[in-house]
Amino acid sequence: MEVDNTFSPIDIATSGLKAHSKQIEVISSNVANARTTDVGNGMPYRRLETAFKAEDDEIGGVDLDKIFPDMSDFNKIFDPGNPNADEKGYVLMPNVSVPIEMMNLTIATRAYQANAAILKRYQQMVETTLELLR
Amino acid sequence: MSETNSIFDFLEAGIRAESLRQKAIANNIANLETSGYRRIDVKFEELLAKALNSTESVNLSEIEPLIHQPEKTPVNSNGNDVSLESEVGQMVKNTLRYKAYIRLLNKKYRQMELAMGIK
Repeated sequence: MEVDNTFSPIDIATSGLKAHSKQIEVISSNVANARTTDVGNGMPYRRLETAFKAEDDEIGGVDLDKIFPDMSDFNKIFDPGNPNADEKGYVLMPNVSVPIEMMNLTIATRAYQANAAILKRYQQMVETTLELLR
Repeated sequence: MSETNSIFDFLEAGIRAESLRQKAIANNIANLETSGYRRIDVKFEELLAKALNSTESVNLSEIEPLIHQPEKTPVNSNGNDVSLESEVGQMVKNTLRYKAYIRLLNKKYRQMELAMGIK
């Protein structure tokens, strides 16, 4: 990211907006696939997690570092009628918990809003400076 | 740097570049969902800095802002690389710069009016 001195808060806020909107995309994928029992290889959908990384070790923006699978155990439900059921009648379900996803969604949305608020506030600050030129 | 460049030339060049950049941003946002579209940007500051650093005289009206495709941002699944957030950030910066140039221009005219005793 190129940081232009006067406008660096704008670039930083933009990087936050981008990172959090990507995180919201990942959460949407988890929620949409909360009951997907087959992702093509016979295994259920594995929940995805996101990790953020600072763009710089000094003042700077954020970047979505990686999207990685959550390796926790799959849930098992008893559903003998399901074509994917094993001989005992159990079906493996994704390790997604919708309430937790909704909680993460709220956190991500609030973070997005906070970045948007910073962008707006900084714009107002520069406009205040420009008022001096009137 | 040539001495004939007045503040008006600088402001005019800046306003021209910012207007073009605003158009480029509008174009990028309009093509947010167009598959295969790569975002466009305006190159002006680099050209201006290069011209001002050279020892030869500079004619500012000859420095044309250039439209180019940086192709640096990551491409999503439909081959498009526009990010709405980045464009909004760019637009805010662009608007603030534009506003600063217009205010300075206005200030300059007021100064002239003052000298002429119109007001």
